[in-house]
Amino acid sequence: MIVLAWVTLIFYVLASGWFILCLLRPGRTLTVGARIVYLGCLAVHLAFVVALGLKDQSLPLSSPWQFMNMTILMASAMLLPFVLKHSTLVMGAFYLPAATIALNFSLHQESLYIQPLMGASRYLYPLHTLSVTIGEALFAVAAITSVIYLIHERIIKKGSIHGPGASLPPLSILDRILYACLGLGFVALTTGMILGGFWAVKADLLAGPLIPKITAAGITWLAFAVSLHQRFAIGWQGRRTAVITLVGFILMIILAIGTHLAFPNTHGLGLLQ
Amino acid sequence: MNRFCCISINHRHAPVSLRERIHLEPASALPLLKGDAEALTLNTCNRTEIYGCHLRPSEMLALITSVCQIQDTNLEGLCEIFEARDAIAHLFAVCSGLDSLVLGEPQILGQAKEAFAAAVRAGTTATLLNKAMHRAFRTAKRVRNETEIGRYPVSVASEAVELAGHVFGDIQRSAVLVIGAGDMACIAARRLKDRGVRTLTIINRTHTAACALARDLGGKAGTFDNLETELMRSDIVITSTGAPTPLIGRPLMERIMKARRHSPLIIIDIALPRDVDPEVGRLYNCYLYDIDALKDIVERHACHRELQLDQASAILESEVDAFEAWLSALTAQETIKDLYALLERYIGEELRSEHIGEEDQGHLAQAVHRVLKRFIHRPVSFLKAHPSLANIENARRLFQLDEDYQDRHKGQPPRPCADRDSEKAS
Repeated sequence: MIVLAWVTLIFYVLASGWFILCLLRPGRTLTVGARIVYLGCLAVHLAFVVALGLKDQSLPLSSPWQFMNMTILMASAMLLPFVLKHSTLVMGAFYLPAATIALNFSLHQESLYIQPLMGASRYLYPLHTLSVTIGEALFAVAAITSVIYLIHERIIKKGSIHGPGASLPPLSILDRILYACLGLGFVALTTGMILGGFWAVKADLLAGPLIPKITAAGITWLAFAVSLHQRFAIGWQGRRTAVITLVGFILMIILAIGTHLAFPNTHGLGLLQ
Repeated sequence: MNRFCCISINHRHAPVSLRERIHLEPASALPLLKGDAEALTLNTCNRTEIYGCHLRPSEMLALITSVCQIQDTNLEGLCEIFEARDAIAHLFAVCSGLDSLVLGEPQILGQAKEAFAAAVRAGTTATLLNKAMHRAFRTAKRVRNETEIGRYPVSVASEAVELAGHVFGDIQRSAVLVIGAGDMACIAARRLKDRGVRTLTIINRTHTAACALARDLGGKAGTFDNLETELMRSDIVITSTGAPTPLIGRPLMERIMKARRHSPLIIIDIALPRDVDPEVGRLYNCYLYDIDALKDIVERHACHRELQLDQASAILESEVDAFEAWLSALTAQETIKDLYALLERYIGEELRSEHIGEEDQGHLAQAVHRVLKRFIHRPVSFLKAHPSLANIENARRLFQLDEDYQDRHKGQPPRPCADRDSEKAS
């Protein structure tokens, strides 16, 4: 398992370098190679997660590390259509380095052990975590899109569109991706939160230890809700949505790390202990 | 090479007052064409040129003077005369955009192709100029593909199109509003229309001028009263009026952007004094570029093109060398030599691939030599008896003796001239 984890990490490092090269020197040979490396990266990562699940006959979502690992896999899978498309291929150059760093943290010794699920946890917990994972993966893609949007907008304002930013996707496409990811991610996150509530009731969890987790999730949910509302109601497009999405995503990360560090057993199956 | 000559009346030496009086139709060169003589005329906004083969510069100058009725002007001091290798190098440079006012501009190639097509229709070109033109197009293609000379736009209109592409992606879905019907606005509008924008609306103080431009470009004309509505509908706005004060201020644009629900808007202000208040550029999702900003970008790109000039010149030189090599081989004697060299090569290749003894190989070589030499004896005799350019050219084409024929018809990579020369020598 350790070997597979290392191979996954090596593939991510390789893909990161390749995509950065594509961004700096766009060319047909490099982009074809980048797509192949990306597909390889995704396949190895999927194999790692499947092997992990098969080892203990359960979904590998029983610890924050596994949750992080799964989120990266989901985000990589969601980014695949954009990587395959010529105009949005360079999104990988922004996503992959961040994903590699996150993956390096997630490949913790703890992440290789799955806590068995019992009773009410057997069905509701995987559904809850899977739904939240999808939501957060979509927010990760939205955050990366926001970063690219802000960089590209700055380049356009300066008028230096023929430098290394020449191959960045057009703003209109980035805005559409951002909007789609936010909308779908919000639906997935909301579903995950509702399922999490059901799971807590079914598992007879005490309300006290859940408060930090619920607060963190609520704040994240609110940030993305505000972003979507502004888009629907006022018609915000582009930069403002990108900034709010980025703030929401950073908040989500800080809260996730914060609650994990301050309240170590309020995450996932730790609550059942 | 001594057969070629070119008279160029261009932006470097001739004033615009003279250039606008000189225009040569392809058929106007017909009176000069006697014997093997060939001629081709090229007219663009910055130059009028006549390329001749087996013609004297004085004859061509006299033709220009009489056709354009400029007897009052001493043309010799206002034009450039290129002869022999220089004429071919100049033709290649012109087609590659290396002699253009805007270095590396691609339009000249299209104009040269049109001029060549017209000359072929008029029957003023033959073997030599046809070949020279094909070589010139090939050189232009190489310069464009192998250097970055045409990578970055150096015109305000092209830059506007590029910027719009970065914001909207597919420019074909964009609605364009042009305010003003002057030259600059017209060029920018034409460029955008060529790229296939969805709609093109032209607004001008003089409505008839707007209607005329709209008719010309296939757009629609609007009135200044509808400016606000048109701004609301548009994705790209190009303004180029002579208004002394800004037409579009921040309060107006704030209102419009709110009504558009802040959907992105690109404004290219190429007017002097400016038509758009610079404060408009601070509005959310409003991208404003004035003439200074665009000029800065364009000048940076022009510098980049200058840096590519050495590489482009090297390509040009190598192509002129290749043309010269072709030209020197365009004699009956050289063609026959090339033909025998080709035969020898084929026989050598075939014999090497046969695994037979040395003695048998000698007999086989003699037999094959005899058969093939008998086979080409008749075309060789014919060529010796009728060594006209057309016959030589046809023989070279038939046996694919030149690298570009091989390249075009067999898909084989061209052989470098140096190889061919060494083969000939051996």
